Amino acid sequence: MDEIRENKVQRFEEFIDCRLKPDLVRAIAERDKVFEQQKIFLDLKRNIENLEKNDVTSLRTLVNLGSEVYMQADVPDTQHIFVDIGLGFHVEFTWSEALEFISKKEERLDRQIEEYTQLIASIKAQIKLVYEGIRELLELSADRSY
Amino acid sequence: MENGVKGTVTPLASVFPVEGAQKAAKRVQETLANRQKELDYVHNFVVDNTNLVNLVQRLPDELSHDVMVPFGTVAFFPGRLIHTNEFLVLLGEGYYVERTSRQTIEILQRRGKVLQEQVDSLKATIEDLKIEASFFDTTAIEAAEGLVEIREDCVEESPLEERANQSGVSKSVGSFEDNTKDATEDEEYARMMARLDELEKVELAAESNDEDGDEDFCSSISPHAFDHHLSDEHQLMDSVQQTEDKRAINTTTEYPLQNIGLKQDFVKQSAQIEDLGVPLMPKEKPISVEKPLLSPGLRKKVDLSTASRTEVAEDKSTSYRSETGSNSSKAFTGSIVEHTHGLQTKSVGQTTTSQPSKPVSRFKMQKGGR
Repeated sequence: MDEIRENKVQRFEEFIDCRLKPDLVRAIAERDKVFEQQKIFLDLKRNIENLEKNDVTSLRTLVNLGSEVYMQADVPDTQHIFVDIGLGFHVEFTWSEALEFISKKEERLDRQIEEYTQLIASIKAQIKLVYEGIRELLELSADRSY
Repeated sequence: MENGVKGTVTPLASVFPVEGAQKAAKRVQETLANRQKELDYVHNFVVDNTNLVNLVQRLPDELSHDVMVPFGTVAFFPGRLIHTNEFLVLLGEGYYVERTSRQTIEILQRRGKVLQEQVDSLKATIEDLKIEASFFDTTAIEAAEGLVEIREDCVEESPLEERANQSGVSKSVGSFEDNTKDATEDEEYARMMARLDELEKVELAAESNDEDGDEDFCSSISPHAFDHHLSDEHQLMDSVQQTEDKRAINTTTEYPLQNIGLKQDFVKQSAQIEDLGVPLMPKEKPISVEKPLLSPGLRKKVDLSTASRTEVAEDKSTSYRSETGSNSSKAFTGSIVEHTHGLQTKSVGQTTTSQPSKPVSRFKMQKGGR
């Protein structure tokens, strides 16, 4: 009987290490990516709001040509902004349209984060369950030895 | 092999365990893969740098360029690049500098040189790792095949005595020797050729396997700049051809034949030389390790060295000579030089000067000389 228990314990441990833990790591990585996207769009929204607030019509920027070599660029008309909406498309927006889009995008991102958080939580719960099972088996076998 | 030879047979697998060699090979492979990745990474930098140089060169051609100016990572503004000859370059540590197009190109070219140096050093490292990996692979394969390393003690007395018995040389020199000489010469000749062939094969195999042995070999015989001789020895073994050293070898291989004729004297002298040679035995052992088949053949050279007893009595390196004489059983190089001198001094109809490398001619000359 003890051998069977030990086998079970070993199988549970393997399951945790080979299956559940990598799953957890992957889920966390995916969620971090979505967090980054969220941050990017948040920054963009702040910038656009700034532009609107200051009524900036044209602006001078430095463009990175690569390997940190910059060149001055002039934007004569800031009314129209092209935003990446995904799948390789960039849509020309006005400021208000852009802000609307960004808020919709943020909602979607929040939902994704929520899904990932639930997935991560379930994986963690499964890991805990298997650990408990192992502990029970070990305690029982420890009891048996006496 | 001669009788009465003591030795040890060491399977290569015990020295280089098969699994250990394979694991080492794997580790080296992983390191090699890492270095390869780094090389690709740096190579990408080099490509980017080259592209940037081209771009910076082309930009000043126009007063302004219409571009999409990025605003963060996901948004663009339509705009224009202005001041097309002014570039702001990051030098590192938060230092920026405004440069013209040409100056920027110079900066980028200097950066490119640094990157190229990195690439070159990485490539050299990768090459070394490849060599190491191939060495481990061959070692693993050979250890798995069951290659053995044979070490033998160099026993000098018994063969000589055996020879004396075999050739039936009595204490009297003269016609008796001549009779036996011809009969045994052919046998010796055939035997020597066979031995040489075997030794060549062993040499080829030993070269790839026993690098350590080679080093020991060199270190043990190194004294008087015989290192080059030692390095040549392998070649000598492979093809007993001429260089001056090889000529000496040829001359030494002649000795067995000659010894047959001069046996009784040599038997007496051999004892002396062996005494001299004995202290040198420990040194010789690493040499003998590599070349098991050499030792029987080299034993003949021991006889030759006994022939060169006058050389031993001679000059600058008597111990050296004896060393080379005794080494002759193990290695050609030392004995080669010695024997040539000895041969000339001996000049018992021995053709030292006109030695072509080919044994055939030597033997012929011996016959002609006698």
